[in-house]
Amino acid sequence: MGHKNTFKNMFKAALTAAAFFLLLFANTGLRANHAEHCENPDVKPSNEVMHHITDNHNWHIASFPVGKCESGETEYFHLEIPLPWLIYNSEKGIQFFMSSAAHENGYEIAEGELYLLGQAPEEEANHGGPEVLEAIEEAAEEHAGVEVEPHGPTILDFSLTRTSFQMILIGLVLLLIFMAVAKGYKKNEDHAPKGIQSFMEPIVMFVRDDIARVYLGKKADKYTPYLLTLFFFIWFSNLLGLTPFNSNIAGSTSVTIALALITFILILANSTKDFWLHIFWFPGVPVPIKFLMMIVEMIGLIVKPTALAIRLFANITAGHFMVLSLISLIFILGKNGAVPAAGWGTAPVAVAFTTAIFALEMIVAIIQAYVFALLTAVFIGQAMETHDHDHDDHH
Amino acid sequence: MEVIMPKLGLFVWALVIFLIFFFLLKKFAWKPILEALKKREEGIENSLQEAQKARDEMQNLKSENEKILREARAEREVILKEAREMKESMINEARTEAKEEADRIMAQTRDEIQSEKMRAITEIKNQVGMLSLQIAEKLLRKELADKDQKQAVVDQMIDDLHLN
Repeated sequence: MGHKNTFKNMFKAALTAAAFFLLLFANTGLRANHAEHCENPDVKPSNEVMHHITDNHNWHIASFPVGKCESGETEYFHLEIPLPWLIYNSEKGIQFFMSSAAHENGYEIAEGELYLLGQAPEEEANHGGPEVLEAIEEAAEEHAGVEVEPHGPTILDFSLTRTSFQMILIGLVLLLIFMAVAKGYKKNEDHAPKGIQSFMEPIVMFVRDDIARVYLGKKADKYTPYLLTLFFFIWFSNLLGLTPFNSNIAGSTSVTIALALITFILILANSTKDFWLHIFWFPGVPVPIKFLMMIVEMIGLIVKPTALAIRLFANITAGHFMVLSLISLIFILGKNGAVPAAGWGTAPVAVAFTTAIFALEMIVAIIQAYVFALLTAVFIGQAMETHDHDHDDHH
Repeated sequence: MEVIMPKLGLFVWALVIFLIFFFLLKKFAWKPILEALKKREEGIENSLQEAQKARDEMQNLKSENEKILREARAEREVILKEAREMKESMINEARTEAKEEADRIMAQTRDEIQSEKMRAITEIKNQVGMLSLQIAEKLLRKELADKDQKQAVVDQMIDDLHLN
């Protein structure tokens, strides 16, 4: 009993510490970023949408106009939570600092990419992007085989970005919720489930009975924990992504590819001889078809996890795009305050549509989690399957 | 393109974070939850089976009771039948006996009556004989007052004796 309480207290202390650090960092963020930016107050919808959808190197909450700069632009106060950056620089080695100290360490962010300070392409230069890129590619071809490093040292960016940081938050939330549920089973042993336990139990049982047990046969119980993690992680991430200030975690290909990669590894780890036989020498068809099937099946093997990654990413990103585009419509039609009537007129329509899309996204959030977990189970189940080769004899 | 292109850093972090939380959740949440669910399901399964067993036992007991009841009823039936038969036979026996007794008594009575009758008849005969003798005596006395008549009577009597 005492042991359990000690653990609980430690967990609570850790959470408190995490929350405290978050606030502390937020505070430094406020100071570090104060009065740093002078910007044109006009909303540029494409920039805003991209800023919301893509990953960021800090956690931007809101910006407030606080005054006028000398250049005539508006001075903004950015409320941001700085995140830890971890960078491998081939010249300076491994560097670790908070995003609020980026400039002091000689780095800057442009268009979501990390650059050495002063090397980020200017916005104007960016418009001529394709030509610059072509020039670099031509140069690379001329130096065939030689690494072209137009920016000096090799930089590998392993910063804990907004998305990865929020993944940790989701993980902690899941731990908190399901440890409470697990505790409920210990406390209410031989009693009906109560509170959060009774809310989560049918969902847990749904994943176990209607996903794992249907498709995974004997190994169902072994993979149920993984499928549960997958399902709840994606679901909660998607829900978090629908709230203000937060990342669309599953709307990032980096994340969905990582999840699909685990599925792919599990497919390979569970594949039987029979599975590979069906890929490389399809039974029961003439030899020329066997070669054709080999190509088809090999593509299929790769396409399965790829489709998983793209489906999740595309669904979540599309939802965010729609919401942000509808909101941006107000500023586009209102010409950034030049035609206020059009802006105000658009607003109710945009808000109504956004509400509808939000409702849809709430459903999509759980459907995509279900689909990802379901297909993972289906693919692993297919790989484990052994067929009866009766059909061989008929040809 | 920026939206679609995966980034190495985020990819690595996503993989690491997901796997770490998977193992933590597995150890501290899924395992106890799934075990508790399994245990409860087994408990329910067991209770259901036990209930079925109890029901079967009850059924058995009931059918056994019914069998015993049926047997008892059959036995009663048999006993009653036997009793009825015995009663019948007893009555019949008694009746025959009584009849025989009555017959015997009747026969005896008849015999007695017969013998009494015979005796009475004999008596009457004797009486009649005595009376006849007395009458005859008186008559003779009267008749034999003279000699001739005495002779005639003796003759007559001798004749009669002959005739007898």
